[in-house]
Amino acid sequence: MMRIINVRSVARAAAVMALTMLALGARAELMIQITEGRVDAVPIAVVPFAGAADAPENISDIVRADLHRSGQFKTLEPGDMLSRPTSADQLSFRDFRVLNQEYVVVGSMQKTDSGAYEVRYGLYDVAREKQLITESYRPPASQLRDVAHAISDRIYEELTGIQGAFSTKILYVTFNRGTQNPYQLQYADADGARVRTIVRSREPIMSPSWSPDGSKIAYVSFEKDGLPKIYVHDLASAQRRVVAQYKGINGAPAWSPDGQRLAVTLSKGGNPDIYSLDLNSGALEQLTDHYGIDTEPRWMPDGEHLVFTSSRSGGPQIYELDINDKSTRRVSFEGAYNARPDVTPDGRYLVYVHRRNGSFHVGVQDLQRGTFDIVTKTDMDESPSVAPNGSMIIYGTQYRGTGVLQAVSIDGRVKVELPSKEGEVREPAWSPFL
Amino acid sequence: MRSFINPFLAVILAGLLAACSSTPTEEDTSSTDTMGQNTQTTPTTPVERPKPSKPETSSIPLTAENFHNHPSNYDGTTDTRVIYFAFDSNTVPAAAFETLRAHAKYLKENPNAKVRLEGHADERGTREYNVALSERRSEAVQKFLRVQGVSASQLETVAYGEEKPAAFGHTEMDWAKNRRVVLNYTAGRP
Repeated sequence: MMRIINVRSVARAAAVMALTMLALGARAELMIQITEGRVDAVPIAVVPFAGAADAPENISDIVRADLHRSGQFKTLEPGDMLSRPTSADQLSFRDFRVLNQEYVVVGSMQKTDSGAYEVRYGLYDVAREKQLITESYRPPASQLRDVAHAISDRIYEELTGIQGAFSTKILYVTFNRGTQNPYQLQYADADGARVRTIVRSREPIMSPSWSPDGSKIAYVSFEKDGLPKIYVHDLASAQRRVVAQYKGINGAPAWSPDGQRLAVTLSKGGNPDIYSLDLNSGALEQLTDHYGIDTEPRWMPDGEHLVFTSSRSGGPQIYELDINDKSTRRVSFEGAYNARPDVTPDGRYLVYVHRRNGSFHVGVQDLQRGTFDIVTKTDMDESPSVAPNGSMIIYGTQYRGTGVLQAVSIDGRVKVELPSKEGEVREPAWSPFL
Repeated sequence: MRSFINPFLAVILAGLLAACSSTPTEEDTSSTDTMGQNTQTTPTTPVERPKPSKPETSSIPLTAENFHNHPSNYDGTTDTRVIYFAFDSNTVPAAAFETLRAHAKYLKENPNAKVRLEGHADERGTREYNVALSERRSEAVQKFLRVQGVSASQLETVAYGEEKPAAFGHTEMDWAKNRRVVLNYTAGRP
């Protein structure tokens, strides 16, 4: 009955990881804590898998943490379980029904003679006593975490109807004052594990951005001569090239949905304007021309429009640009400071930094209904980035005077903290589906 | 899960506290403390009062609001390499004019000298927008020096936004210290 699944995305993500094992120095590991969950979170019991405690990665613990962190689920602690079945024939639904569990996950992981692991699990509906998923995987030890996140994705999609984003990565900048290379560009799994350093520098690194296929990143680095340059960096090969080093600002790169162009901010024309840079030909097209500040562009999913920050009305506000006729229209109207927009994959919501009473929060504007809501309670928020399934926003803020990452659901009902063990963490960029 | 995280948080907090205690604290604005009384008590028979060791400029209380225009930040020579700015402003403060004229004079007399004008912003607001704001500050200083007759080829601007703070705290005074343009001589340093 078991299906052997060859999940391509898992293999690809693992390949990217394996090839980008760069210098692994001090790692600012991210830790994750839910600070606010939904009252209607779905109760689910992920029973410890047979053999999990002896394996290099405990898959059932990872899956339980993934589901918990989404805020959509209330996970049962193993210590509170009445029984701990590890296969379908051991499963007594009654033991979970009396604990008001709606779903239960049971499974096992066993080392095979070849050194790979045989991972099997099933998802069951407790009330209907029905099997919803059963799968098996045969990953090498190095891919156990990928399999755990793939299982979380599968369960999440089965129960919410939304594609899971547990197999994605977060790209971010760290700052450790007083070290030789205080600025580092790193990425990690969406749960904060497996930190990889991509670039380290004495000079600032800023504005990391993913290509739409997740194979490349763009960022601003002031390394070597202290002047800003925009780099495009291939994660698998670690090859990179400078794509913009004009006089003045070279900033805010944002990849077009087709992966062919970068929207960038350049001040070579005398003040900051937005340009489109063709990555194949190197051709540059000026998209805005205003004496005010135009910066922080993001592409709308249609690839025909950009949203960006502009000071053309005084303080910063969000504008939308049609790249064909270069017409602009103002989008944000609430308050005197709105900046650094991001957009949900369906194009429905804009997410940006909004100042209210001197504090900076993440706000969500519903472009369909025309509503605007502040979704964070923290007050030095910046750099919001939307998950590829549109469920969560990760952003930078301050906790006790140091930069940390936090995540919040689009509706503001789930809040997750990702404090760093050392140094500042800032400018998170959530990867596309990998 | 929660039981795993609390010890971690404790470690983080301990780390933070350690970091704070080793951080140099703000300079004391000691000159401001007793100033009020001193000026009030004017003795009727003045008998050779010692001259104040510091110029009278130090008697103006140094606050986050006047930090950018405070005479104590500018000595009128090329020794001063940092120009400060008011919140949300790219206006060169009057107190810095004499200092900038000294730099202009030096640059004109030393055509080989080159200076990089490094603009900075405080941490409030978004990062790339702050880069743009800080560029306006370095351009304001550039314009001042150009008007004094300095050759464009001796001047270069770079905008760092909030990425390279001078003060690492999060108070109004820290922000005042970070809104600045640094004159960084890349050749022919005075």
